[in-house]
Amino acid sequence: MTKKVLLSPLDPVHDIGLKMIKRGLDEAGLETKLLPPDTPAEEIIRICMEGSFDTLLLSRTLGYGVAELLARFVDLADAAGLRENVRIGIGGMAVRPEIAAELGFDAGFGPGTTVEEAVAFVEGKEYSPQENEIKKEKVDISSPYTYQYKNEKIGNLLKKITKQIIGWAANKTSPGVERAKLRENEWDYQAFLKKEDDSEFYKRYAQLCDQVPKDFYLQGVMHPKTRELSKDELISLNTYINNMQKQMRVKKLQHTRKLPIVWNQYGTGCPFMDIAHVKASEGWGADGVVHFDPSWGARTEGFLNGNLTHQEDGTVITPNNLYRIHRMLEKSTLWQVRAHRGLNTAETVVLAGKIGADLTKINICYGSLAAGTDPARLTIDAFHAIKYAAKYKMPFDVVTNEELTGVPAYKAFAGMLIVADLAVRLGAKPILQPLFAFSPEVMVGGQMDDNYIDFNAAKIYALRSIVDAPIWPGAPIGFLTQTEDRVQSSLSTALHALLAASLGVDAISIASADEAYSGGPISIPSKIDTLRGVEESFRFLGLAGIKPTENAQIWQEQMVRGIEKVLSQVAEQGDFVQSLYDGVLGSKEEGAFPGRAGYNTVREE
Amino acid sequence: MTDALKRVIDALDVETFLVCESEEEGKKLALSMMKNLGFKDVDLVFIEFIGSGARIRARAYLHRPGDQYGWLFAEEVKVND
Repeated sequence: MTKKVLLSPLDPVHDIGLKMIKRGLDEAGLETKLLPPDTPAEEIIRICMEGSFDTLLLSRTLGYGVAELLARFVDLADAAGLRENVRIGIGGMAVRPEIAAELGFDAGFGPGTTVEEAVAFVEGKEYSPQENEIKKEKVDISSPYTYQYKNEKIGNLLKKITKQIIGWAANKTSPGVERAKLRENEWDYQAFLKKEDDSEFYKRYAQLCDQVPKDFYLQGVMHPKTRELSKDELISLNTYINNMQKQMRVKKLQHTRKLPIVWNQYGTGCPFMDIAHVKASEGWGADGVVHFDPSWGARTEGFLNGNLTHQEDGTVITPNNLYRIHRMLEKSTLWQVRAHRGLNTAETVVLAGKIGADLTKINICYGSLAAGTDPARLTIDAFHAIKYAAKYKMPFDVVTNEELTGVPAYKAFAGMLIVADLAVRLGAKPILQPLFAFSPEVMVGGQMDDNYIDFNAAKIYALRSIVDAPIWPGAPIGFLTQTEDRVQSSLSTALHALLAASLGVDAISIASADEAYSGGPISIPSKIDTLRGVEESFRFLGLAGIKPTENAQIWQEQMVRGIEKVLSQVAEQGDFVQSLYDGVLGSKEEGAFPGRAGYNTVREE
Repeated sequence: MTDALKRVIDALDVETFLVCESEEEGKKLALSMMKNLGFKDVDLVFIEFIGSGARIRARAYLHRPGDQYGWLFAEEVKVND
């Protein structure tokens, strides 16, 4: 026999929640009747008894006098004998399950109750949130793309430039390239997992390192900002992870869209704290997490080893640290270990590939013009890193962060396209990473005086008009628009995410609400703030869109012309590395300075 | 109430993330934390538990409407407060 459900709001006006539940109950095949708001309690009880209803669902939104109102209703229902045959549930914004239970209701549904939960109560079934659990899968954003050029002129210029780079790199090596080779050929991940003796490997490895790692391996001297995690800490971490993983579930942020996938960076300094951060990111909907290493790691020849915690920003790359973080990731979480900007670029890719990373991050121009690495050194290291990325089937993004120093977007894009073209020729899958940023170029030029939409849209339009390749704005979106205020910061991130979704990009990297705070490590609540903000922005947008003004088109055309001009200069020069030193891809006047780390370490084989 | 707390116009919110096994446990921990901090009129504005713990916003009311407001009579804040 079909169950009959009476629904009645105990409010003067609010009945939306009950209407939604009524729709769910109707769809489940139950017979329902909804009374109008402000129906007196006595009348609700009379209708319920006369209509032989099986269940009565009440709701209350207004917060004032809730306990008294509900207590009175229960008393009246008891006095009328309603409770003998009818189960009564109460829900709504003002209701807390514990108050409902205290007053003797059969069920209490607080804010956030799902329709499914109410239906389960009416049907007398145990509610199992697992049935509604979101199943997420890893997405390869590079797979739909052909990397074919739509702009033939640019395609031909890139071909000429990357042919020259491949020729230049053919007979060159560096300490970083040699360490990567050693790690690739002599370090076995399975042997590491079995804790087999690796002292011979590290003796040879130390010879390719500079003083800090050398002292670590040969003298047992720890880097001053690091310490080894204790055995007790490691055992307790395992217990923490085991307990937590049983109750893990994840959100999906994209609402009705499939893309963009959302990336969150971690790198607190400590792999334990990283794990806590990553689990919160996963829970609140991040699709991927990025390993962020210390800045000194990029300027040090060689990695350390062991379970190391670090007191400053960025988590030290060691096999143990990467292994520990990787093994607690949810199966659906994409993992990127960024290699991009320093003296360990090639080895990072090897290590990440062996341990199981899904993506990496490699670039030449940003790392050598704005992150301190010598252009020749980074070119040869990145060349080999790209080949390893291809071998380990790790797509990688090519950043354009040199924009943050003042290099105009078109120049940064020219550099990015060179690296991307080189990657395709070496069998890898590059992902274009334009900045969504309030960059020095626009601060001076005024392109964002009115809005943050047009110039960012122009970047996407420009890249799309050149090549069929995945686009992942970052990193993070909204760079230099966020302040220390968490509402402003989260909203700015969320709005940039909304723009990214509207432009149909493949992925985004988002900051925490602490993006502009520099007084200490970012906190988990600040990560959740922006994930919730982005979730809400996607919910707001759905499949609708944002319409840029005609400026986006004008600036797109200017950018493409600028890219063509820069690529022509590099091609004409016939020496990519020299054009980095000469400022063709970003000059000293624009804040781009060729780095010194690794200077004079490239040698011919 | 310290002099600084007298200057709180109505409420003090504590936003944090608690490691816990359920929403219920998170609620209890949050309220107990606020009481341990010395607040009497406390509530939990928001809690969302997922997997590894709960994002919470706990609140302590220092002055509710109709109270005698400390900030109406506040003197200069003492340094050691």
